[in-house]
Amino acid sequence: MSTPDDTAPQPNAAPDPTSPVHRFGLPARRAGAPDAGSTLRREDTRGVAPAQDRRQAMEKTRERLVFAAAGFALLFSAVAVKLTVATVIAPSLPKEQTAQRRPEPAPVAPPPAAPADAAAPQQAAAAVPPPAPPKPAPGEHLVRASITDRNGEILAISLPTASVFANPREMIDPTDAAAKLKTVLKAIDVAQVTKRLAGGKQFVYLARQITPREQLAVNNLGIPGIYFEPTERRRYPLGRVAAQVIGGVDVDGKGVAGVEKFFEQRLAEDHDKLQLSIDVRVQAAVRDELVKAVADFNAIAGCGIVMDVRTGEVLAMVNLPDYDANDVGHATEDERKNRAVWGNYEPGSTFKLQTAAMTLDSGIGHLWNIYDASAPIHIGRFSISDFEGKHRPLYFPEVLAYSSNIGAAHMAQSVGAERQREWLGKMGMFSRIGIELPEASRPIFPPVNNWKEAATLTIGFGHGIAVSPLHVVRGTSAIANGGLVLRPTILARPVDAAPPAGERIMQQSTSDVMRKLMRLVVTDGYGKTAEVPGYFVGGKTGTAEKVGGKSGYKKHANIAAFMSVFPMNAPRYAVYMMLDEPKANSTTHGYATAGWVAAPAAGRVIGRIGPMLGLLPETDTAAATQASLAIALQPGHPPGAATTVAKPDSKPAPAKPPAKPGDFKHEAALAQPAGGVTLANR
Amino acid sequence: MMPTLSRADPSLLGRWWWTVDRWTMLAIATLIFFGYVMMLAASPAVAERIHTARDIFILKQVIFLAAAGVVVVGVSLLSPRGVRRLALAGCTLALVLTALTLVAGTEIKGARRWISVPGMSLQPSEFLKPCFAVVAAWLLSEGLRETTRAKRLAWPGLALLIAGLIGVLLKSQPDMGMLAVIIGVFIIQLFVNGLNLFLVAGLIASAIGGAVAAYFTISHFRSRVDRFLDPSTGDNWQVMRAQEAFGAGGLLGRGPGEGHVKDLIPDAHADFVFAVAGEEFGLVICGLILLVFAFIVLRALSRVLNDHDPFVVLATAGLASGFGLQAFVNMASTLRLIPTKGMTLPFISYGGSSALAVALGVGMLLALTRRRQNGDLL
Repeated sequence: MSTPDDTAPQPNAAPDPTSPVHRFGLPARRAGAPDAGSTLRREDTRGVAPAQDRRQAMEKTRERLVFAAAGFALLFSAVAVKLTVATVIAPSLPKEQTAQRRPEPAPVAPPPAAPADAAAPQQAAAAVPPPAPPKPAPGEHLVRASITDRNGEILAISLPTASVFANPREMIDPTDAAAKLKTVLKAIDVAQVTKRLAGGKQFVYLARQITPREQLAVNNLGIPGIYFEPTERRRYPLGRVAAQVIGGVDVDGKGVAGVEKFFEQRLAEDHDKLQLSIDVRVQAAVRDELVKAVADFNAIAGCGIVMDVRTGEVLAMVNLPDYDANDVGHATEDERKNRAVWGNYEPGSTFKLQTAAMTLDSGIGHLWNIYDASAPIHIGRFSISDFEGKHRPLYFPEVLAYSSNIGAAHMAQSVGAERQREWLGKMGMFSRIGIELPEASRPIFPPVNNWKEAATLTIGFGHGIAVSPLHVVRGTSAIANGGLVLRPTILARPVDAAPPAGERIMQQSTSDVMRKLMRLVVTDGYGKTAEVPGYFVGGKTGTAEKVGGKSGYKKHANIAAFMSVFPMNAPRYAVYMMLDEPKANSTTHGYATAGWVAAPAAGRVIGRIGPMLGLLPETDTAAATQASLAIALQPGHPPGAATTVAKPDSKPAPAKPPAKPGDFKHEAALAQPAGGVTLANR
Repeated sequence: MMPTLSRADPSLLGRWWWTVDRWTMLAIATLIFFGYVMMLAASPAVAERIHTARDIFILKQVIFLAAAGVVVVGVSLLSPRGVRRLALAGCTLALVLTALTLVAGTEIKGARRWISVPGMSLQPSEFLKPCFAVVAAWLLSEGLRETTRAKRLAWPGLALLIAGLIGVLLKSQPDMGMLAVIIGVFIIQLFVNGLNLFLVAGLIASAIGGAVAAYFTISHFRSRVDRFLDPSTGDNWQVMRAQEAFGAGGLLGRGPGEGHVKDLIPDAHADFVFAVAGEEFGLVICGLILLVFAFIVLRALSRVLNDHDPFVVLATAGLASGFGLQAFVNMASTLRLIPTKGMTLPFISYGGSSALAVALGVGMLLALTRRRQNGDLL
């Protein structure tokens, strides 16, 4: 570049290094300079600035350029050093990069609130012990707690599975991917999956709850854009056992019914197993006998309950028909019904125990009182009569033993509506049962202003009110256990826990007498078929005509139930067996009443579960024990005592103006044919 | 590239081919190639994050980089005089547009630096940088011709005046990073021009004083510096992720497309593209990119070492310094060598305005460093 320029147009002129030169070899025209051929002149005029100076200036510029270049070299070297340090010598460790890509939601503070289910019992809400505070279980956030029976048998357990999802935006070849997936996941529809994979979404589910083996196989396909999400599958190893109690879960693993629904939060947050009070052995025995009874008498449904009368723990709760809890999605509504807590049935004669206890405890009636059951009672449009009645005045014990509607109505009448309502209220007959099941229903009963005398009388023998079977079990347990009303529970109590206090509803002495009367029903009354030697079974039959049809009650559709407690000398367990619409067969001599269809089943259950529960039949001292429970059907009365009960209320008489139709609103007593209804309850 | 061109070919292209610095051309082509690679690596993640169609996002940059290549070659065809004219026109236009940003600019992240034009956001100050460097070179070199002392000082004084105007404009945007680079380039030009070392020292001192004043008066500038000096005081999230990216990359990198940092850092495709390169390609490729930048700067400076035209020397020094400083600031702040300063990495960062402005500067640089005899192009 610095070589002499022999192509310059003015060879004579010294080349001016600072002169801008035109591209075509002509001297550039600088502002203010003459136009052409001015090189020489310019040289002359600019001679003021010596070439020496300029050379010096150029030399300085050169030095400075080198200096600047060195500076840049230094800067870039610094970057190079830092780059080497950052990558190789002292690399920063990436912290939780993957976690940052997908931030986990912060763990929700555990609100240990009582299960906030709409169907949760209101009355017992305060009594429900708050679920144990959830324990933090890092890394196990997916595992829903197991459910076991009282002995640790697994009723529900979650197994690890995976859900397959895809990010279609990362898909290279949706058609190929779908075809490959089909080789592992047989259930998928290739056309549909192809369509979904070709869509513009960023997330589509492909399959849910595949097994670990399938997950491995899908992973081995190596399809980009396919991801797995750890999930779990709820399994119920015992299938139908206590299916309605456990309920089941939906596809997202959320409880849809029963314990799974009621304890949703507890099961999701606290990973300790949830131990139910159910005993699968007892449950199996009850179901077995109930299945037989339902089959024998061609019933449409059945219900069996075993409850500890001292603690309120439910050991068995059987409902037929039932379903496999693993397949709750395909269960019919009828199969899903937990009749023990959901169904409202007129309790029928089993309610006479309530009337009798109430009468005795109030001091209004005594064992030696006689109730005139010789003629039907006509009240309003009702006509109360006895089924296979004795048609004579009956002693107090005989009213129970022979299940006299007339006698029970007289007892209720003698106590009066107010005290009856108070009694039944304290027995919990007007509110939800309080067990930890979302299906628990609210009883149906007449409102206060409609609780007229007719209602008092019919409710006295269990008509005109509808409660769940578990209400009956609890009420009867309170009569048998010494007078304490307990809240039934589906959860196992700790073994060493003190028995729950319960609420005293009657004097101990009343309970003592009632135990003998219940025993009398089995020894001398209509419940003889429930007798199991050595277990001193006591109980009460109840056959109620079902509500329905135009006439108010179905004549040949009964609810036949046997409410029993054993052993009556020291009551431990209440056993309730109920058949819905049993049909008579040859062995029952044409009867489909509770004494024929339900009581034998209850007896067989007691015979089977007694040994399981550690109660061996008492044979050696049977006679003495029985003697201690004996009570005369027609007890003599103390001198001076009146045999007929004074009736505080006005005597029911045909003269009383009949209630207008519709006056007695309760559906269970909607019987209103022209000639009145005969409530034949036995 | 053009093997059929004969050395005797007198056409414009023929002369261009034989006089242009082909090594620098190769270096620039290398950078544009890395620009494509990094854009392919970082842009999909960014496009997904900002909900833009990925293909259009990439296509835009493909077009911009191609346009940048055309601009580089096109501008390098110019003579020094053409460069000067282009720079004068560009500087005037860029000044007007920069002033316009203050009234009609698009505000992005708290600063008004951009003007919306169809298809892109234009940052006029990007173009101001190379154009002003050339204009300042012209003014300084004109000053050298003058005979009287007053006139000798008038030209540089004019340059100083323009620099002051630019300073006011960029301070108002605010764009302190761009201002610092432009002023830095101007100081380097004064230095190369043979300014008294005491004055250079004074200028540097006043620049430092300005930085200190900015530290105390401009809050976001202060927080940047504070966070750099003491990482625990503030949010260093992006820089820390960038350091982890370099660490994860190591010597050879995770491999193309395997990086994570682009999913994390919002500016992965722009200001932090060097970290993406570090994570996916490691020290080797990052070092290569660094070498290419250093090569372009040092080669340009060395090429004008024996040039006798002060304008060419000063303009080249200004353009090379601007290019080098921009690359340095970007890489150094990504590497946490200096406080974070949002500045693009020439050709490699995503952005149309940046690519075209850099192409303009590099094109002028190539034009000025063409081999010529006594100012005449061979």
